[in-house]
Amino acid sequence: MLKNLNSKHIQRFSYKYLPQFPISPNSPKLGFSRSQIANYRSNFPTTIMSSSKTIVLRSSDGETFEVDEAVAVESQTIKHMIEDGCADTSIPLPNVTSKILSKVIEYCKKHVETPNADEKVAEEDLKSFDADFVKVDQSTLFDLILAANYLNIKSLLDLTCQTVADMIKGKTPEEIRKTFNIKNDFTPEEEEEVRRENAWAFE
Amino acid sequence: MGANSSLLSPDSSDGSTHPSKLTLGEIPESCVALVLSYLDPPEICKLARLNRAFRAASSADFIWDDKLPLNYQHLVDDYLITNPRKLGKYEIYSRLTRPVRFDDGNKEFWLDKRTGGVCMSISCKALNITGIDDRRYWNFIQTNESRFHTIAYLQQIWWFEVEGDVGFKFPSGTYSVLFKLRLGRFTKRSNRRVSNYEGVHGWDIKPVQFQLSTTDGQQVVSKCYLENKGVWEYHHVGDFVVDDSFVPTKVKFSLTQIDCTHTKGGLSVDSVVICPTSLVKDFKALL
Repeated sequence: MLKNLNSKHIQRFSYKYLPQFPISPNSPKLGFSRSQIANYRSNFPTTIMSSSKTIVLRSSDGETFEVDEAVAVESQTIKHMIEDGCADTSIPLPNVTSKILSKVIEYCKKHVETPNADEKVAEEDLKSFDADFVKVDQSTLFDLILAANYLNIKSLLDLTCQTVADMIKGKTPEEIRKTFNIKNDFTPEEEEEVRRENAWAFE
Repeated sequence: MGANSSLLSPDSSDGSTHPSKLTLGEIPESCVALVLSYLDPPEICKLARLNRAFRAASSADFIWDDKLPLNYQHLVDDYLITNPRKLGKYEIYSRLTRPVRFDDGNKEFWLDKRTGGVCMSISCKALNITGIDDRRYWNFIQTNESRFHTIAYLQQIWWFEVEGDVGFKFPSGTYSVLFKLRLGRFTKRSNRRVSNYEGVHGWDIKPVQFQLSTTDGQQVVSKCYLENKGVWEYHHVGDFVVDDSFVPTKVKFSLTQIDCTHTKGGLSVDSVVICPTSLVKDFKALL
């Protein structure tokens, strides 16, 4: 890897990481010796490795996904982990399976990459992407809600929760029980209690 | 919202570790609560009847915290007589949707169930009515038609002036002031309610003037002819905007017809309503 390191990498690296990582007293210019680089690497291994600014995410079932940092920080949870310096080699996400993580990454990528230049067209494009994105089976949808919640991605959470809310809005409890196969586990006394508790909403 | 709810219950992480076939009935409570927060209060309460998990989820604090007005704590402290036990957000919301009386019981406010907007009704007894003490001009009539069970009925007068004011910490937004009026009255003849338009006169000669002003300089003046005998109507005076939820807004409103060349009478005055502008049509629909 050191063989491939050239002045371009070093210049870009020092410019972009200047505020965060202390740079060696030597100014960034052509002609770092190999020993200097090796010395640097041993102190800041991650900074050189992540000079192309990607983050590695690891799902609960052990799969790794390399994503651009800009995409990864759509998740506030991941963003805080990076800021707190926990993003050394890879970020483990024990609460998210690879299947769901890949979908989440797809969502974040699309939302980061959509250009703001042509506002109207981009907006329409994003809307139809979102609409198709949630056309999944119920179980995946709920997994996405849990993942969006854990990873703290507000736009994804809004999208998925609104989708489920729209599915149950306007239906009576009996209809919902039938459609979603939900068991009524109330005792008659409990049911009466709930009715009384919530009567204020229907007076 | 996301950061708060992931701390809600330890089982929020369980759903994803098993590659489970989750259905609506099996998702953890915190997840249900998240979904419920995207619905309005009557829907949430309806869904509380689904099963135990939904019932528990529907009373999650963060849902109702979002639906309560910004200054709800001030409203609770100033106007609700609560026991020392601290009320949960759900309880506060449900309590505030029931009218809360203040100012000697002549004014009341409540939260609109669906939107959480603050609405207020000011009884005619809280208004300054010129000549109210003279039974030749004005009478108070007990009736169930009014929230306060009293309306003021004008027999006849030259100088017609009804005005009032209220100081209240309205949550920020745009509000409308409405006068609830009716030309004519009902009398009981052998146990039946009969409409009585005999006394109605003078309203077609000159228009009445509605006025509204706030201490921060907003002002609205409008004129209209009162028509339509026999039905209660909400007359829209105007709108005012509240910027700061934590500072009391003082609103003054009045209804006058002081052209003394003619008398007018036969008018029933019920109350003045202040509500969010978006709810005006809901009020009118209730008449």
